[in-house]
Amino acid sequence: MKKIKYLTLLGTICWALSGCDKNFETVNTNEYGVTNIDPALLFSNAERLTHVGAWEGEQTIVQQFVNAYNLGATAGFNFNEDNNNFNIPKWNSCYENAVKLLVEAIQIAQEMPARVNLMSMMRIWKAYVFMTLVDTYGDVPYSEAGKAYQQIIFYPIYDDDRAIYEDLYNELKSAIASMDPAADYVTEDFFYGATGSAAAQVAKWQRLGNSLLLRLGMRYTKVDPEKARSIVQEAVDGGVMQSNEDDAYMVFTNAYNSTLNDGPVVNAYYYYLAEPFVNQLKSTEDPRAKYIAGKYADPNAVLSSVPDVTLANQFGFPVGYDQNNVAQHPNFRGRAGTGFNYSQLNYAIIGNPFAPLFYITHSQTKLLMAEAAHRNWINGSAQAYYEEGIRASMDQWSLYPNTPDNAISEQEKESYINHPQVVFNTANALELINTQYWISNIGNGTESFANFRRSGFPALTPNRYNNNLNGGFVRRMAYPDDEMSENPTNYQAAVAAMGGDNLSVRVFWDIE
Amino acid sequence: MVGMMGIIPAFLQGQEKPVRGQVRDSESTPLEGVTVQVKGTRTATATNANGNFSINASNGDILVFSLIGYQPRELTLQNQMVVNIQLTAESRSMEEVVVTALGIKKESKKLGYSAETVKRQDLLQNRTVNVMESLEGKVAGLDISPPAAGAGSSTKIRLRGQSAFAGAANSPLIVINGLPMDQGARSSNGWQPAYDLGDNMQQINPDDIESMTVLKGATAAAIYGSRAANGAIIITTKNGQRDQGIGIEYTSNFTVNSVLDFTDFQQEFGQGQGGQRPTDVGSAISTGMLGWGSRMDGEPIVNFDGVMRPYAPNPNRIKEFYRDGTVFTNTVALSGGSDKGNFRASFSNSGAKGITPAPDNRYTKRIFNLGLNHDLTKKLHFSFNANYTKENNENPPQVGAQGPGAPNFLTRMSTSIPLAAFRESAVAENGTERQTSGFQGTLLNPYFAKGREFILNDRDRFLGTATLRYDVMDWLYVQGRYNYDYSVSKLEFNTPTGRGTSTPFNNNGQGPGFNGMYHIEQAKGTEINTDFLVGASKEFGDFSIDLSVGGNIFKRDVGTFIDEVEDFTVRDLYSIQNGINKTINNYTIFRDQTNSLYAFAEFGYKGMLYVNLTGRQDWFSVLNPEANSEFYPSVSGSFIFSELMKEQSWLSYGKLRGSWAQVGSANGIPPFSNHLFYDILPNQLHGRTLGTILGTRSPNALLRPFSVEERELGLELRFFDSRLSFDIAAYEKVTTDQILPVQISNASGYTDTQQNVGSLQNRGMEFMLEVIPMKRDNFRWTSSFNASLNTTKVLSIAPGTDRFVAQRFEGNEFIGALVYEVGLPLNQLSANTYLRNENGEILLNDNGRLLQGPVVNFGSALPKWVGGWTNTFTYKNLSLSMHFDFKAGGKVLSSSALNGLRQGHTKASLIGRREGENGVVFDGVYRNGEKNTIAVNPQDFYTDYRNLQIADPFIFKSDFIKFRNIALTYNLSDYVKNKFGFIKGLTLTASCRNVALLYKDLPDYDPEAFASSGDNRVGYEQATVPTTRNYAFNLNIIF
Repeated sequence: MKKIKYLTLLGTICWALSGCDKNFETVNTNEYGVTNIDPALLFSNAERLTHVGAWEGEQTIVQQFVNAYNLGATAGFNFNEDNNNFNIPKWNSCYENAVKLLVEAIQIAQEMPARVNLMSMMRIWKAYVFMTLVDTYGDVPYSEAGKAYQQIIFYPIYDDDRAIYEDLYNELKSAIASMDPAADYVTEDFFYGATGSAAAQVAKWQRLGNSLLLRLGMRYTKVDPEKARSIVQEAVDGGVMQSNEDDAYMVFTNAYNSTLNDGPVVNAYYYYLAEPFVNQLKSTEDPRAKYIAGKYADPNAVLSSVPDVTLANQFGFPVGYDQNNVAQHPNFRGRAGTGFNYSQLNYAIIGNPFAPLFYITHSQTKLLMAEAAHRNWINGSAQAYYEEGIRASMDQWSLYPNTPDNAISEQEKESYINHPQVVFNTANALELINTQYWISNIGNGTESFANFRRSGFPALTPNRYNNNLNGGFVRRMAYPDDEMSENPTNYQAAVAAMGGDNLSVRVFWDIE
Repeated sequence: MVGMMGIIPAFLQGQEKPVRGQVRDSESTPLEGVTVQVKGTRTATATNANGNFSINASNGDILVFSLIGYQPRELTLQNQMVVNIQLTAESRSMEEVVVTALGIKKESKKLGYSAETVKRQDLLQNRTVNVMESLEGKVAGLDISPPAAGAGSSTKIRLRGQSAFAGAANSPLIVINGLPMDQGARSSNGWQPAYDLGDNMQQINPDDIESMTVLKGATAAAIYGSRAANGAIIITTKNGQRDQGIGIEYTSNFTVNSVLDFTDFQQEFGQGQGGQRPTDVGSAISTGMLGWGSRMDGEPIVNFDGVMRPYAPNPNRIKEFYRDGTVFTNTVALSGGSDKGNFRASFSNSGAKGITPAPDNRYTKRIFNLGLNHDLTKKLHFSFNANYTKENNENPPQVGAQGPGAPNFLTRMSTSIPLAAFRESAVAENGTERQTSGFQGTLLNPYFAKGREFILNDRDRFLGTATLRYDVMDWLYVQGRYNYDYSVSKLEFNTPTGRGTSTPFNNNGQGPGFNGMYHIEQAKGTEINTDFLVGASKEFGDFSIDLSVGGNIFKRDVGTFIDEVEDFTVRDLYSIQNGINKTINNYTIFRDQTNSLYAFAEFGYKGMLYVNLTGRQDWFSVLNPEANSEFYPSVSGSFIFSELMKEQSWLSYGKLRGSWAQVGSANGIPPFSNHLFYDILPNQLHGRTLGTILGTRSPNALLRPFSVEERELGLELRFFDSRLSFDIAAYEKVTTDQILPVQISNASGYTDTQQNVGSLQNRGMEFMLEVIPMKRDNFRWTSSFNASLNTTKVLSIAPGTDRFVAQRFEGNEFIGALVYEVGLPLNQLSANTYLRNENGEILLNDNGRLLQGPVVNFGSALPKWVGGWTNTFTYKNLSLSMHFDFKAGGKVLSSSALNGLRQGHTKASLIGRREGENGVVFDGVYRNGEKNTIAVNPQDFYTDYRNLQIADPFIFKSDFIKFRNIALTYNLSDYVKNKFGFIKGLTLTASCRNVALLYKDLPDYDPEAFASSGDNRVGYEQATVPTTRNYAFNLNIIF
């Protein structure tokens, strides 16, 4: 009987507390958390976080830059090693930043039909980001990427690189066409948000979109020239960038530093410009050299001393050597301070944390058009485009910190363009144009790496250190090791589709 | 002893009358099983669960009340019909009466599970700043690991193994006077943070502890529900005694910590590389961390600062750098009582000077404790406990990461650079840190940090418990309790201008200010537990029933303000206002609630057979509202078979126990984790606002609690009048539906998501043996040994995966990973191995250099065996105690060994450059099967271990045997009592902790010198402060 009493008591308590979880929804609501956001704010942050490569990554592959030291974990593309540390920055930076933000922002903006221009800009920019991913790795997660929260896709499939390019083409075409000069003006946009009107901004974005389409078309040069020609024509007809005013770039500040320049400052004496690049600047008396290269008395005191930028005194570190065997190099230049007596980045200018990052430029566009014209895919003079591309590249330096407003004078430009090794000639057009593309993209390794593989220029000598690549060049970056363990099924399928996961495998447009 | 356990019918005698009454302890808790005997007769009875008894006796008879663990009392009957009396616990009590869940005291015979009481002298004779540290090796099944992270650091507490994957709270629940709290270890976790800010056990003064019970299994804890899935440690603080005047107790303790240096580096070759010593300042800097120079000859060479010093070894750099640490603790306690109640108030002040001088490490704490009991009426009892702690931790050493902090620096700089050079030349002309090595960003001179870099942590905590108990009838009571836990903490730290870099100016001198960082955060938290309990107990002939029903609401609410700035207008002025860029600027909250209802019942038969049933339902606010509650049942039983063998005099006590329980836990599910949050970045960029998605974890709204199912069987035997005691327990604990931060493809936009996946099994045995080999009038030798064997096996991970990387020791952590793999013991240390051919020979390339083999598991980082052996010799008032403890069966991955080898510091790095050697001719074969004959430059060869991530030479056994403690106690109480009447007791103790490290496998370091008390960095050795030998002197006076 007593038990019954207790059971009754227990029952009563349970009943009384059957709202045992009544206030839980309030308890589990974070009133200090931000649960709604304007997608334009995610978009502007995505622009800021867009990745353009890394000094020890792409710029090292294309022999512009080198970490000369093999001190453990520093061996990557400088020594032909497939080192995860140098394969992951692009992947992680794209997927965890721009892709994540853009996928979320696009989802939010889908409910906002009035913001068609914002939506189109985000689609174009997303296409840009994925293009760099395909160019770097080949098959990558695309259709299912960035959707862990939205669609609970934790293990996205890898889409075929060629198929992604097809879709990027469609996206670009469709997004460019959807833009409406009478619709929303996106002031949050870093690139053209200050143009004053939606119409002006739309025009700029359409030129950006077409310039990106031009680049996409050019990528087909080796694998499908006819397709390349048709897309390039379409892009140029649609209207590409017309001046440096159209460039898509970011300038950085004290609070938000350039994402490219946070690396080679610590232990700066590890890092040098590579010999082929310095030789190119020297042999052509390139006026850009003084903003790029500098010799420091102590290669580690790069932030506290002023470099010697005299062109004749610049020497690049030989490719294929490390801190120990460089002494055996026939032209070894000896030690200096903590490091070696070779040229480094000019840390006041190109290596500055405020230095701008250029994503899509007038210079790139004109140089690509020079090649297209040379191939007779578009109208116009290859030489004129070539020279305009060079001038545009030189004008970009005005935007760097610690350079004058006219960073490179008209006279300097003129004499450079007429330098015997620079002056245009049809016989040598492809090498000339693409060597300029290489220099123009000193701050955008992702693009110079892609164009080097597409065009085969500049004519570089393979790095023979360890000779892991058997005299070849790095053709792509390997997938992050994490994918092997964290997305194994899709990773394995992608490796099978690509024919391996090493540095010698080629992306679809990079046929031998 | 046996007699008191049964209920012996009282005989009727002449002139007798029934006398009723109740027996309680000094906290007014009714005592069950107290033998009440009429002196000189066989008339006796025992109190029931409510402490009530009834016995027939005559006026003038003397009633004797006795219960093991309590001082017996006698009372002469003078016409009373009702006798209420109180028994006082004996100091060496707790063998028989155990404080169990919800503070209910029970005779241990009734328990169907392991509950071990800690001997108070273990806490007092073996003092450590954190009270838990002194329990290492003392309790079977309790695995204590104190990190080498300075004064005021946390301890790792694991009961019966790690029951859940890293991320959940795997330490037992701590219950102080009925107030439950998490251990809350704020341990170093690599870079975030790289220092240890202690845990909640620090806030307990060992002098205040009355009893400490370790409830090992899930059954014991089932009643605490989800928070106690890893068992519980029940602490009761002291109270005054009734019917006594005011007493004062004073305890003073002084401890000196002396640094133990286990490093045995090579002292033959000095700074340099390629066999060359530096010739100019540049190369003296770039090779500061390399010991690949030439043979040291004492000739002067240039150092990083341009000063010429002898090219000679400095083998004692570690001892020269660190200082003797000290801890000085004083406690004064005031206690007293009347017939209506009692009180005790104590105040303790503890000041520690850590061994790290640069930056100066100091820790102080003050603890105020108050206990009150009062009978408001005969039936209504009130008790109140309060504990207020103020802690101040200055500059806890930075450990476990390659970066700031002395440990990393001291073991990785070449031996030929004297400590004085670093001290004298820490600062360059422009006020920045002078560069000392080529690893500029990560090998940071502690002398530069001194006076410039700070980590300051203040913590105030108030714990209060108020209990009101009403005895409705002699067999029924109702109790309500309110627990309030309030804490405020402030943390500030900085990165000084000019640290590690060569310029104090931000951004190439073009930036607007001086570099550096300043961070300040303040957190305020409350935890409130409100509970009620209705308890009833009755006896029906041979049967007894004890029933309780209760409920609890647990609310937790923490708010944290964080402000962090970077770059300063005024140099070396660390304040928010002076900062140019905001890096963090936010207010965050953590809030959850758990509601619970529970009931438990105990059925007894003839005092020899007991069955206990418990059930608890928890509702969690953090879970999906569709499925937010869980039910946890348990059943346990005990059989005191010695009751059936009373004629066997050799057997003093025999008990068989068994239990089954299921407990769950929502530990590891943070609130609001079902929702995605956005955020606005603190600074604008070119006048534009930047938005982001908060966090890298994809929210999961469908999480369930994980569950723990545990079975246990135990046997307890005592022989020959308890001269030999023996306890063995076997258990199996399976944890399923674990909440694991499953790493997902980064291409999903997020890096991980929490999922209910994976299960773990802990299986083990606990073994205790206590012998009294010698017992004379004045002499007693007690020897007790305990050991536990535990293996933790991964049964499953996520569907489709059999391997999970819990932690990658990558980047600045150098090598390997902590891995969970199905079918293997938990916490596998995993890394690449040598590439071998089918004969098992190590393959080398054509240049005689290493090749990278596959990633393999090198074994579990968890020890299998943990135990200790204590011998206590007592002669008259003198007592000598010696304690040894050991751990065995685990592995450690030493990143210091990797760095020491590749940088040319360890003795292993001598291979290849000894007399007659031209380089490393590694014992391996080429691909064609021919034996290697090529000598490789040692620096190049050993650097390949780093490049290729081959861990074979850096894996060691983490086993050790330590002569942990020796303590000599002299109890002068009798002497002083006679000599000075007002002094009631005086005890002096001298002790030494970490007397000797008798066995280890890990070279150069103490195998216990690890950085973290968490589960992510188990078995990973890197850059900890040295362990110490502690000499302690203790004085206790009672007035």
